Amino acid sequence: MAFRGAPVTIGMLFSQTGVTAVLESSQRKAAMLAVSQINASGGLLERELVLLDSDPASNPARFKTEAERLLDEGAEALFGCYMSSTRKAVLPVVEARGSLLFYPTLYEGFEYMPSCIYSGAAPNQNAGMLADYLTEMHGTRYFFVGSNYVFPYESNRIMRDLLSNRGATVTDEVYISLDPSEDEIARVIKMVSSAGPVVVFSTLVGDGAVRFYKAYDEAGFDRTAQPIASLTFGEPEIQALGSGSATGHIKAAPYFSVIDTPANRAFVAAYREAFGPDCAICAEAEAAYFQVKLFAEAVRRSGKTDRMSIIRTLPTFSLEAPQGSVRVDGSTHHTHLWPRVAVVGENGAFQIMRESARPVAPDPYLVALENSLDDLVADANLGRF
Amino acid sequence: MARFRLRDLRGLFVVIVHPRDPDGQAMLEQMERIGCKTELVWPPKRELPTNADVVFLGLFFDNRKDLTDMIRRSEKPGPAIIGVVDYENPAMLEFVLEIGAIAVTSKPVRSFGILTNLVVGYANSLREQEAQDRIARLEKKLLGKRNIAEAKTVLIRMHGMNEEDAYKLIRERAMDKRMTIEDMAQAIIDANHLLSGP
Repeated sequence: MAFRGAPVTIGMLFSQTGVTAVLESSQRKAAMLAVSQINASGGLLERELVLLDSDPASNPARFKTEAERLLDEGAEALFGCYMSSTRKAVLPVVEARGSLLFYPTLYEGFEYMPSCIYSGAAPNQNAGMLADYLTEMHGTRYFFVGSNYVFPYESNRIMRDLLSNRGATVTDEVYISLDPSEDEIARVIKMVSSAGPVVVFSTLVGDGAVRFYKAYDEAGFDRTAQPIASLTFGEPEIQALGSGSATGHIKAAPYFSVIDTPANRAFVAAYREAFGPDCAICAEAEAAYFQVKLFAEAVRRSGKTDRMSIIRTLPTFSLEAPQGSVRVDGSTHHTHLWPRVAVVGENGAFQIMRESARPVAPDPYLVALENSLDDLVADANLGRF
Repeated sequence: MARFRLRDLRGLFVVIVHPRDPDGQAMLEQMERIGCKTELVWPPKRELPTNADVVFLGLFFDNRKDLTDMIRRSEKPGPAIIGVVDYENPAMLEFVLEIGAIAVTSKPVRSFGILTNLVVGYANSLREQEAQDRIARLEKKLLGKRNIAEAKTVLIRMHGMNEEDAYKLIRERAMDKRMTIEDMAQAIIDANHLLSGP
């Protein structure tokens, strides 16, 4: 492919080492796939899209210095970050340099930075539907366990609200280290067993989550009655855990790799062709993929790569993402997404139980999520899947 | 008065007194994201819109008199006032104190921090208002107690009653006339003043 003019350079901030490496590696691959597809179809305005790599190692300080390095090396925009603490470390750099960060991960909401485009779910796009599903299917007693950082605290506050509005109670709320010791995990497992019949809502992330789920499996809980529900434990984590150990667990997210649409089949096929047939693809990876496409489309439409042109252009179009049609909201810089709830089946693959009938607008500053998403939900049994 | 609950955030009426320049626009857009009912007022009007809970007030020296007059004329107890400032020299600080700001936010306005200022400012103003109400209630009660004591003294002196009977009489009369004991005590004191002559 012949390109004309100077390349367009973008930078990636995805950890390949550290506690969240598994997840972020899948995001990194998805971004790389998007770039190679864009270049294969002629690049951006006949310019090559060049991707600069990094390994910020799940460490906020490293994220900051790597962001600085990528911008020094000419990146027009940055793509990445998983934990909120890493996003918070990067954004001041991006803001000061007048650049943009595309953030492909669900998070706890209550943020708007002009220099950030949020393509993962805000709480109103996952937690509400999860609370509806849980209270309808799994009763009224819940046990919260989370990693000790900002996302779990705010997610638990929101979830507690949602559950109590639906007549449920939270029997306990405990936090363990981001990289928990075996003792910490064992202590929580013991607390869950002595809490009686409870469903666990987990906001654990990274390796610690996989180890917790493993201990939960070994402790022998009946997962049909006592599954673990989360917003984060997806396809890569299930693969790391072993598919037989995950049956029954629940996740709410805008994307699951089993979505059966032409756009998603093409995405999954291309991803597996590029990175191997056994690759696990999760919601965070899908967002990492389509946000590169969003950037590319904004560059094509505006003919420019500067931040203001991108920001102005992003809300003016919809993009056919693997999850469905998505669009950036001009006021909040968050994205219209498709809430879904899925349960892990016998074969370790998710089965989608509910999905929104249309994209749901982001509402990152919603303090009290009270409205049920019922009117937006089409039951998965209706033959959609 | 109820304590401020975060879930009531979207019920607040926020007034932004500021030109619709990039700073005014940034505040307006952030309020839209937060989801409060919002109104931008500029130039300053005679009074603030009624029922405002929180006011983000741009402190401009060339409009100083209009701004302070607008705050002074507005209904009491007033809203929580958050000053929006671009200097922190003593002249500006005097201005901040003069308009009774409960918090300030600086320019250029950033979206981050507005929500925190809004919540802390409003919660503090509720607390202050509650404290003021309480002081007013206590002052009234204290004054009432002093009046009851004085009215009892009048009755004891004029009618040779003992203290207990004097109190009973005040209470019975108050009940007959459907008044508070404090008001009846005041009436007895006033009547005594009239009768005792110059």
